[in-house]
Amino acid sequence: MSKVTFNHVSKTYEGNVQAVRDVSFTCEDGEFLAILGPSGSGKSSMLRMIAGLEEITKGEILFDGKVVNDLTPSERNLALAFESYALYPLMSVYENIAFPLRAQGLDDSEVNKKVRFIAEAVDLTDILKKKPSALSGGHQQRVSLARALVREPNVTLLDEPISHMDQRVRAEMRARIRRLHDELHLTTIYVTHDQAEALSLCDRLAVMNFGELQQIGTVEEIWNKPANKFVAMFVGEPQMNFINGTIETPQEVSIPAKEGKATLPLSGKVDETYVGSEVTIGVRPQKITLSLTEKQQGAIAGSLELIEFQGESAILTVKLKDLHNTEVKVAIRGERLGQAGETVSLSFSPETIHLFDKETTISNPVIKSSG
Amino acid sequence: MAEVRLEAVTKMYGRKTAVDSVSFDCKEGEFFSITGPAGAGKTTILKILAGIEEVTSGTIYFDNRPVNELPPQERDVAMAFETYNLYPHFSVYENIAFPLRAPKTEQSLSVQEERQQVEEIADFLGITPLLKRRPTELSGGEKQRVCLARVMVRKPRVFLLDEPIAHLDARLKFSTQTALKRLSSRLGTTIIYVTHDYREALGLSDRVAVLRKGVIEQIGRPEDVYHTPSTDFVARFIGDPPMNLIDGEIITRDKKTFFAAGDDFTIQIQKGLIASAEKAARREGDKRTVRLGIRCSHITVSRDRISDNSFQLPVYAIVRSPQGPLCTFELKDSFLQANIEEGVRYDMSEKVWLDFDQDHLLFFEKTIEISKK
Repeated sequence: MSKVTFNHVSKTYEGNVQAVRDVSFTCEDGEFLAILGPSGSGKSSMLRMIAGLEEITKGEILFDGKVVNDLTPSERNLALAFESYALYPLMSVYENIAFPLRAQGLDDSEVNKKVRFIAEAVDLTDILKKKPSALSGGHQQRVSLARALVREPNVTLLDEPISHMDQRVRAEMRARIRRLHDELHLTTIYVTHDQAEALSLCDRLAVMNFGELQQIGTVEEIWNKPANKFVAMFVGEPQMNFINGTIETPQEVSIPAKEGKATLPLSGKVDETYVGSEVTIGVRPQKITLSLTEKQQGAIAGSLELIEFQGESAILTVKLKDLHNTEVKVAIRGERLGQAGETVSLSFSPETIHLFDKETTISNPVIKSSG
Repeated sequence: MAEVRLEAVTKMYGRKTAVDSVSFDCKEGEFFSITGPAGAGKTTILKILAGIEEVTSGTIYFDNRPVNELPPQERDVAMAFETYNLYPHFSVYENIAFPLRAPKTEQSLSVQEERQQVEEIADFLGITPLLKRRPTELSGGEKQRVCLARVMVRKPRVFLLDEPIAHLDARLKFSTQTALKRLSSRLGTTIIYVTHDYREALGLSDRVAVLRKGVIEQIGRPEDVYHTPSTDFVARFIGDPPMNLIDGEIITRDKKTFFAAGDDFTIQIQKGLIASAEKAARREGDKRTVRLGIRCSHITVSRDRISDNSFQLPVYAIVRSPQGPLCTFELKDSFLQANIEEGVRYDMSEKVWLDFDQDHLLFFEKTIEISKK
């Protein structure tokens, strides 16, 4: 298993299309890293450059400190698992998994040992004699995964491997993939556009947009301290709420409202020069406290417009009584709360408030030390 | 607005039964969803309601009047399909306005009235900036919202919507769903809505019917089908992560009743639940087998023993869910998943204690295959 490093990597396609711009980061040995971004963000180009399927225009990719730019895909010893990974239809599951080992010239007993080990890990032992055509989609997926992993690759690359599976199978596949990663001490890079998938599996996320690395960090860091408005919007469902506000004092931000403004204390201190300027306040739907009582100190009133029951939680749409009648979403666990048309009051605790500079959209530009 | 009632409606295609004696009663102004996997017969029911398909047997009533013999145009329904069918040479505006200009609508609208109605619906669905474009200039998601607008601009007795937002990406789906919900509560028109996505069904509907192979498994409010599914099929279909289902047997020992699935996994069943467990149980040889259901959020996991009813399992893997970290355990035939506290770390294969919240245990007859193999 290897450490993978991007050192100022860029990719430019014909016609001067810049798919990846000066990206640098390291995926540590044994880490489970997701590269997350919308379509066109450059994540697939990154995957293809790691795999050696695409030339690197500028910069270097290193495995364990060694530059691999000029190595062929097979020399890089990678496992690549795509959603549709073609299995050899005439070979048994066993022979499909054994194929890359035989290609390496291993003897039968060695092949047998390795195939049995990986089949056990992926839970395929019972069906080794079957042909791929006799298998369900989930099984085929696992066979292709087993075939990719049997070579003990330096890096395992997963490209949206389960995004189109049935949700019930998906919950299990996630657990299986994570188990394999932990059990075989893999270095796994998972490319996906699906933020829920990335959050469910990974240790760290690299969030991409327009070919640029927006932020890399643990799931908690990305969730709690998004570097900018894009990251804040892209990660999290329902998406973060944005409300216009004004910095009142270094420790307070306010939301202008028709009946007097709501003033909210901050957890950190804002640079004096920002006092009086307008900012965007970001609050996650899961972090808002909603109460049905009259307006409280530091809370802002709104009218409950809609309730969407989702099972574990309900998503409420609330129209704030601020100057812009901003609509916000509030996620509430458990039973339904309130009724459409009711007046509610929303409060945000200081540590859940994100501030974004209106022009640059960079997060918390103004907070010097957070509390 | 109309009340829609189906009485023992069956639809056969040759010898294949697509819809099997389906009955339900959709009240006036109700948002009623039909959900189920592909091939369950959802779309067939809509087509029968629209008059595009004939029933093999059974009766459909609109406001207590049988409409089986009524041709589609006389039923006064508006139907949106998953596919687009926009007029390519018309602008988006003209596409949406088209049903308002159709000769059948007798009170022809003034240009201003028409514009007002089109713009209002476009605003609701967030497609105002697209009004001047042609369908060829739209993405799949945009086309789908235009189709929805073209249907919703009408004022029929019943809207029939078939996967109208299935092609939208997750984010857009969410906002369109909200728009649709708002629109429906404002129009007050009866809506029958077909979707394979249980989230849409729960979020939008007053009531939900869960369909499986042409048969209704359950009809209820979203809370009912989520919290008290009537079958193991509904339990698995509604919710993500899916409800845990565990096969085991009922054992009576020292006047106490237990549920056991293997040697390490035995829990006592509270008095109040014994009757439902007994009712769902089936004799297999000398055993009484039953299927237990519990949601991930109703299991407590801890390093310390929680109660007399706790049992131990080794950790298989930990992933995250929107409700927090999710610990997976491997059972003989299936996986078991439980929400754990944020920030608590367990090692792979570490043995931890599990405890089931007795208030949320459900017992089912086995009607679906759950094996992980």
